[in-house]
Amino acid sequence: MNIQQELRDAARKLLAEGGVDQIIGWSSGSLPMSSTPLFAATKEEADDLIFDATCGSNLTVYFTKDRRQIARDGKKSGVVVKGCDARSIVLNLKENQIKRDDVVIIGVPCDGIIDRSKVEDKTGGREVLEFSDNGKNISVKGRGFDIDIPRTEVLSDSCISCVHPDAGMSDIFIGEPRGEQKTKDQYLSVEQFEELSAEERWERTKQEYSKCIRCYACRNVCPSCYCNECFVDQNDPQWIGKTLDLSDTIIFHVIRNLHVAGRCVECGSCERACPMDIRLLLLNRKVAKEVAERFGMETGVDPDAKPAMSDFREGEKQDFIMG
Amino acid sequence: MIRLEKDGFKNFIEELIAEYAVFAPVMKDGKHMFGNISSVEDIDSSRLNTEMSPKEIFFPHSEVLFEYDEDGIRVADGEKKPIAVWGMRGCDARSLRMLDKVFGGDGERPDNIKFEDPYWERRYGDSLIFSVACNEPLSTCFCNWFDSGPHDSAGADIFVVDIGDAFLMDAVSGKGEEFLKGLSGSGKASEKDKKKAAVIAEEAVSLLGKKTDLGELNDKLKGLFHKPIWDSVSAKCVNCGACSFTCSTCHCFDIQDESRKGRGKRVRIWDACMFPIFTKEASGHNPRSLSKERVRQRVMHKYSYFVDNHGEFLCTGCGRCISVCPVNLDIREVIREVLAS
Ligand code: SF4
Ligand code: SF4
Ligand code: SF4
Ligand code: SF4
Repeated sequence: MNIQQELRDAARKLLAEGGVDQIIGWSSGSLPMSSTPLFAATKEEADDLIFDATCGSNLTVYFTKDRRQIARDGKKSGVVVKGCDARSIVLNLKENQIKRDDVVIIGVPCDGIIDRSKVEDKTGGREVLEFSDNGKNISVKGRGFDIDIPRTEVLSDSCISCVHPDAGMSDIFIGEPRGEQKTKDQYLSVEQFEELSAEERWERTKQEYSKCIRCYACRNVCPSCYCNECFVDQNDPQWIGKTLDLSDTIIFHVIRNLHVAGRCVECGSCERACPMDIRLLLLNRKVAKEVAERFGMETGVDPDAKPAMSDFREGEKQDFIMG
Repeated sequence: MIRLEKDGFKNFIEELIAEYAVFAPVMKDGKHMFGNISSVEDIDSSRLNTEMSPKEIFFPHSEVLFEYDEDGIRVADGEKKPIAVWGMRGCDARSLRMLDKVFGGDGERPDNIKFEDPYWERRYGDSLIFSVACNEPLSTCFCNWFDSGPHDSAGADIFVVDIGDAFLMDAVSGKGEEFLKGLSGSGKASEKDKKKAAVIAEEAVSLLGKKTDLGELNDKLKGLFHKPIWDSVSAKCVNCGACSFTCSTCHCFDIQDESRKGRGKRVRIWDACMFPIFTKEASGHNPRSLSKERVRQRVMHKYSYFVDNHGEFLCTGCGRCISVCPVNLDIREVIREVLAS
């Protein structure tokens, strides 16, 4: 049985017998090579559920923040999660943003998510009108082109280095788990960046972040970014300038990065959401690498461990504390 | 209608640059947008629609309105040369006409309020817009819903059709006519050229999706303000600003005073009705605290309020909001849902 059918059956069953009010998953999007969040409350709606390499948004976001209260208000929701999304659920459980009884976690085996902007680079910006994926290559067709591209060349950065593609915590698992990936170079891109000179690092950082238009899509799709009032939205006092001046923009990104330190699950949702295709994940992963090295912790992997920033152990490295 | 050989294009752009500050589609750090060009090589026409709309030429994201210090207030000078835009698409040319109703001062409003924004006016007022017809519209294009189309010349000063080996240019405004009169290196378009352009136009139109009739849209929306439809329509929206900031017609802004000791500046910055702070009042109360209220506002402003105030929809069907939305909230589906309700 293919997983799509298995997923729909499981969803139907949960809606019928599991006391679940809705299943949050993905359905086909309105554009080729896209998916869109689906809130299925009936069996018929559950038949629109899909899971494939376009299902990139981290749906845990719908459990966080008042303004995304679709999964709140005492509702019980089933949610379809990839490995990274499940880590977001774990984090939000620990941070008391989700009640365990309110959520049924449906894990799906993930082979990596396609980064649309990488596909666009391959087609030279020509519009993709048809898309298929055979697990090894993707095929994209449009006016005047029909090309096969190895998946590895168009996967999201988050997926290239992903170690835990299966939901670590799930109530139901659809299909065969992929198992831990032995990615030796989990932080390769970070290490390569670290090796550059300070000037080169600054140049690249400047080049990326100067593209930012301050739309906050990165923040708003992030399940770890759920402050009731983001520092960006405060104006009394106002912490941060709102122009496209690089100093204003960089401050936004650096602060956001530090706010999700030890809390970012490296799902890549932010990077894929960015309309300017800014390579946001590099900084996040730099911070994640620090957290892994200093505290031996990967966000959302161990359901019982305290979040890195809420824990203190004697003998922890403290050389970063200034004084 | 005149015919400009592609061989003569370089010359044409050079002449244009001599007289105007010329903007055209460019590739900047991997993003396709309008930029101030200094030679024909800067132009990049690899994509049909730029990812950022050309509204930013006339209404930039952040604009210093004036600076002040102990010596007084200073308003920065505008561009010395008038602005010319090459490679605008019809939808975007129309969007500027819509924005002109807001900023330009000649907007017909029922309340007769006239306001002219000098920062807009000094850029758009004497600009020269070259609309280049879309021969291969995208699947996200829906300009035909607004009684327009890929070969619509509305909003342009000069309307251009790329017929392969040459550009055909037609004056749409008086300004455009003046310009074409003085243009060197061009000839008259032949009957054959015109026929070719007509065939291309027909093909372009056939590539568009099916048109939805919007005749009832405003009336429908008027009855929906308090209806539950907004719960379902807004469910997946994460309230970012991606749609508003890439939109060619969204034009809300915030005014910020950036003051240091003894000096400062007042800056106008794009804002979006999706942001929580957009309607937050000084008391702390926010009349649009919920996602659905903000989504409703965006839809109402575009397809109802603007129609009441200015007689047309505040949307051109450029489709940018559709391609950038991180959750694929497709405005066409919202419109269809409203019409079907
Ligand atoms: S910061 Fe980005 S990668 Fe990290 S959890 Fe948030 S959306 Fe995912
Ligand atoms: S999504 Fe991209 S453009 Fe928007 S605020 Fe984030 S980094 Fe900037
Ligand atoms: S419709 Fe899409 S782009 Fe617009 S605010 Fe909502 S999520 Fe962001
Ligand atoms: S609402 Fe969407 S389609 Fe309409 S003008 Fe704005 S970006 Fe274009």
